Amino acid sequence: MNESRRNFLLRTGGALTMTALATQLRHFGLMSALAEKADEKKRAAAAVPNDYRALVCIFLAGGNDGNNTVIPLHNDANLSNYALYSALREPQGLAFGPNVPLPFNVPRIGNLTYGFHPAFGVGANNGLYELWGQNKLAIVTNVGSLVKPTTKALMLDENHPKPYNMYSHSDQAAQQQSGRSDVQAFTGWAGRISDRRSGADNPGSLVPMITSIVGAQLFTAGRTTLPLAIAGAPVPLSQVLNPQGYESPTADSQAQLAAYNALRTQDLSSELIAAASHITDQAIQVNASLQTSQEVTATFPTSSIGNQLKQVARMIKKRGDLSVKRQIFFCQINGFDTHNLQLPNQSILLAQMSQAMRAFYDEMAAQGLADKVTQFTLSDFGRTMNPAGAGAGVGSDHAWSNHHFVVGGGVTASDFYGLNTSNGTPYPTLVLDGPDDAEFGVGARGRFIPTASIEQFAATLARWFGLPETEMVNVFPKIGNFPTSNLGFMKPE
Amino acid sequence: MNRSHIKSLRRTAGILLICVLMFLPAAAQTDPDPNSPTPILLTTPNWTSASIARPASKSASAQSAATSGSLAASSQIVLYVTNVDLMENEGASAFRLSAEDARGARYRFPVVNLRLIDRRNRIYALTAMLKDETGSWEANAAAGGFLFSVTWRGLESNRLRMNFDAAGVTFSGDAGGAQTFPSANQSVDDASAVGYRWSGDRTRFLEQATFGPTRALDDRVRRIGLRVWLAEQFDAPYPTNPYPAFGLKPTTPSPDCNGLIDNGNPDSDPFCYVNHYTMYPVQNWFYKEAFYGDAQLRHRVAWALAQLWVISGVEVQQSSHMTNYYKVLARNAFGNWRQLMQEMTLNPGMGGYLNMRTSTRFAPNENYAREILQLFNIGLFQLNQDGTFKLDGEGNPISTYDQTTVNNFTMTFTGWTLCELSLTQCPSRVAGAPNFIDPMAITNPNNHDLTAKTLLSYPGSTTTNVAACAGCTGTAIATYANNSLNQALDNIYNHPNVAPFVSKFLIQQLVTGDPTPAYVARVAAVFNANRANASQMKEVVRAILLDPEARGNAKTDPTYGKLREPVLLLTNIARHFEARSADRSAPSDGVLTTETGAMGQVVFMAPSVFNFYPPDYVVPGTSFKGPEFALYTTGTAVTRANFANTIIFSRISVNPERRVTAGTSIDLAEMQSFAQADPSGDLLLEMLDLRMMHNIMSPQMRETIRNVIQTIPASDPLLRARRAVYLVATSSQYQVQR
Repeated sequence: MNESRRNFLLRTGGALTMTALATQLRHFGLMSALAEKADEKKRAAAAVPNDYRALVCIFLAGGNDGNNTVIPLHNDANLSNYALYSALREPQGLAFGPNVPLPFNVPRIGNLTYGFHPAFGVGANNGLYELWGQNKLAIVTNVGSLVKPTTKALMLDENHPKPYNMYSHSDQAAQQQSGRSDVQAFTGWAGRISDRRSGADNPGSLVPMITSIVGAQLFTAGRTTLPLAIAGAPVPLSQVLNPQGYESPTADSQAQLAAYNALRTQDLSSELIAAASHITDQAIQVNASLQTSQEVTATFPTSSIGNQLKQVARMIKKRGDLSVKRQIFFCQINGFDTHNLQLPNQSILLAQMSQAMRAFYDEMAAQGLADKVTQFTLSDFGRTMNPAGAGAGVGSDHAWSNHHFVVGGGVTASDFYGLNTSNGTPYPTLVLDGPDDAEFGVGARGRFIPTASIEQFAATLARWFGLPETEMVNVFPKIGNFPTSNLGFMKPE
Repeated sequence: MNRSHIKSLRRTAGILLICVLMFLPAAAQTDPDPNSPTPILLTTPNWTSASIARPASKSASAQSAATSGSLAASSQIVLYVTNVDLMENEGASAFRLSAEDARGARYRFPVVNLRLIDRRNRIYALTAMLKDETGSWEANAAAGGFLFSVTWRGLESNRLRMNFDAAGVTFSGDAGGAQTFPSANQSVDDASAVGYRWSGDRTRFLEQATFGPTRALDDRVRRIGLRVWLAEQFDAPYPTNPYPAFGLKPTTPSPDCNGLIDNGNPDSDPFCYVNHYTMYPVQNWFYKEAFYGDAQLRHRVAWALAQLWVISGVEVQQSSHMTNYYKVLARNAFGNWRQLMQEMTLNPGMGGYLNMRTSTRFAPNENYAREILQLFNIGLFQLNQDGTFKLDGEGNPISTYDQTTVNNFTMTFTGWTLCELSLTQCPSRVAGAPNFIDPMAITNPNNHDLTAKTLLSYPGSTTTNVAACAGCTGTAIATYANNSLNQALDNIYNHPNVAPFVSKFLIQQLVTGDPTPAYVARVAAVFNANRANASQMKEVVRAILLDPEARGNAKTDPTYGKLREPVLLLTNIARHFEARSADRSAPSDGVLTTETGAMGQVVFMAPSVFNFYPPDYVVPGTSFKGPEFALYTTGTAVTRANFANTIIFSRISVNPERRVTAGTSIDLAEMQSFAQADPSGDLLLEMLDLRMMHNIMSPQMRETIRNVIQTIPASDPLLRARRAVYLVATSSQYQVQR
């Protein structure tokens, strides 16, 4: 890009500041009010962080089948072993053979062997499997939506609070993203971190704390802060928010640009117009900051998630220019709702996930940020142990708890984390109507009751990110319902 | 005879009257004024001692008062309102209270009681509950004064300032308050019209009922009025452009239709693969019908229904499967909801998408059973007839069903699969291709569950229990499966949630994203009154479009309206300016998925069964709902502007790689002529205001665009027109349809 073009953009971006501020004050007045308050309080106590940290959420939309992602391969008779797994899934054709999963030993469970879905080890970069051996991959088992710790016995207690609208995609996905399972919430847990911390952590930042590569999501919604939403690669950063038609700065095209900007300061008595104008303002402001960037060095797969994570990596590479110290990113892979044709489809999706997350890890290492950037998965829910259908089209239905993956140099070690189930390990007992199944009787399909809540999982990440203990309850209002807010999978400060 | 019958008789009489009178110039006088009066909040303390005349005009000075309780969360406040003209049964739920705090954040509260306290002066006491739906009031409201206003039928009252000071709570007018946009007096009444005089409302109506207003449609409505136009549309032949005629193909494409070069041989028809195995032809057809179709209302309602009963080309393999599904929606768009439920449940495209076609008693699949309840008809929480949640003693919503209910519906729906029986039973069968045309059938009775099931239980439910069919075999099972299916669909259809659920959804799709409970209730009542009517949805659609909350020249309620979704943004611009092919020699080819895709929406390719956006999405930074805003982000804000830039300054060109065969362009010649005729730019702006913004362009906006026009030499009227159209099309004022 030539210099005059760049100056032109900077100029127009700068000229916008006043008008943009006007709409923000009117509709997001709280943002500045909060920021001021935070500034007053924190000026003496907490300085701006001196390191960079980022959380990268990879949402497995539709509900990944964790039962075929982390599989017991051992034959310890006291625990859920391969035989139990196979007995429940083999008859309909949903079980992997004993030599198919990629084996690994779990320190926490006496080094017994479990296995990853084979898709974890394929691709040019060998995927996530290798990171287990390097202590960069933690598995948080049996996590899910909970209002309070819940046992099989408590499932029968009508007075014991349970998540609303169990097994519904929209609601359970909302619970993962909002960090609230007791009531419908309209902000996400990342959005609330941004509301509370943007002023203190990112003063003078040219971008919002949160960037989504897949549009507006509940996870990213704050009450007073808005996320940035941009397209993934291959679109270059200089184009993701760039209005076209202003390449040659003629007098009348400049007048048009000025008017395009000025119209957003008008007719704001309509809340809908004001909301649209505010979002556009933010786009135009950030655009000015994205006109130059350096390409990343790792090779990313060209899948959707590969392109999303590549764009995240480019943003992180610009962190200095953008004066940002704390960032949260949101990416998503669709298609995990495998009621049908699970074997071929989940393989494709997990291979894409594994290769893209690995490429992203490698890129962070290349940027010197391996231990400063943490990737983690979320998903609507887990899936029924008992398959749906049979034969080539076999799949599984909506269930409850799931296993999640946390990748980066910040993880404590490669191990299972989470809270123990009825069998004394954090991996559930694979028995229909067994002690960990939420369901009873002959119709029970293996919908396992989470032992750790999504709030505990999220709070562990948020603490590593730098959320002060005093803010925990503001971001996770129900965290007090659980015995700990730290599942231990992230290294302490 | 009940009231709704009387109403519908009145309606019929009204149509007859218009039909009779449409040949007489005086007919215009019989149209009801679509504009509701603007409510007035009274401000003088001690209102009872004031002598008040019913305000004769909107400028009459408002008098009188308000009292209040404390402003703690969930407390109540009483305000006084006049200058409203209520219909029978219109009460508290037609109003909402809006409060803006000292920081400019706005909160909205339900009105729980409305009482006529001064019959002569038509003054109502209005009680609002200070508890907003999203809980942001409790969390955030700033202390200090508030600006209150009430909204009714999409109109906002004057604003009333409430101050706290040593003397307690006092009220005053909002002298320094912002001018409310738009002002109602800008409405243009066209004396020469004989059918429907209100030009602003004509355009608004066409934005709601079609894929975009055109001059021809505006003329037609002006001449014949809304009701006659609706009657005409209900019977209009559909589609104008024939449905894509690509037939069923085998699941595995043949070497001559796989889009690949096999052994050096490309497919003999280079479009064979995209036409059969992608959504390409049905997407293109969709846009052509939106641009050029005559039965606009049917196409628009079918498209709305396609965003409720969602299936997606992400999983649907062949265009013929999708076409067949869309035909069901279009055929039933003005039919009976129960019939639509029946045809959708047995539609093989739906059966494939939500797995009902593979669900057997041995391996049941819950997907369709769950979504027909949760997404398509009932929702997860019990609703009042006005669409608000029923609450339990602790103020929490009450579930409509649980997992056991889903399991029971699942078993009821087992055994249905693609119709692969004899040609007599399955006439659309094609050898070697799965039959995604004929309704699904019980082809293997052994797959249907024969045990007893318990379905939804609610007051008045009659088909809750499906008896077992112990020992049944063969055709007895098929009969039992069919009866059970009917019983299950009746059980859902008769659930009290269906009317408000469907009504609210369609209002959101056609008119406004966050309708008042009263509006929902009025439409739901029509739905219920026509349950046995084969043209039920005709009455529902009519009720939605003719409701006073939909109608009127201009709406001032700050939360009224809806963001144009990308598809409608594109079709509206295309129809304003006569879209044709890139070289203008032919109709547009309708190949536009790249353009809307960049804005977050590709027709027939919803990312999941949850559609492109959720109906309860909260507009960022606010506390009210705006579903389409889920597609409005920093990224798409810019891609929307860039689409406008492309179509206005250039065109969508022919592109063999993207299979753009003819392209799309618009024609600004008419706007250019307005720019030419009046060098001041005023005529151009007036016409853009009329066509695109139904006459509510604010003076400030007009001035801003006029300044740009003035920077361009008058000798270049096309550039003047282009820049002006771009600025309107990209403005938030246009992006939001209100």
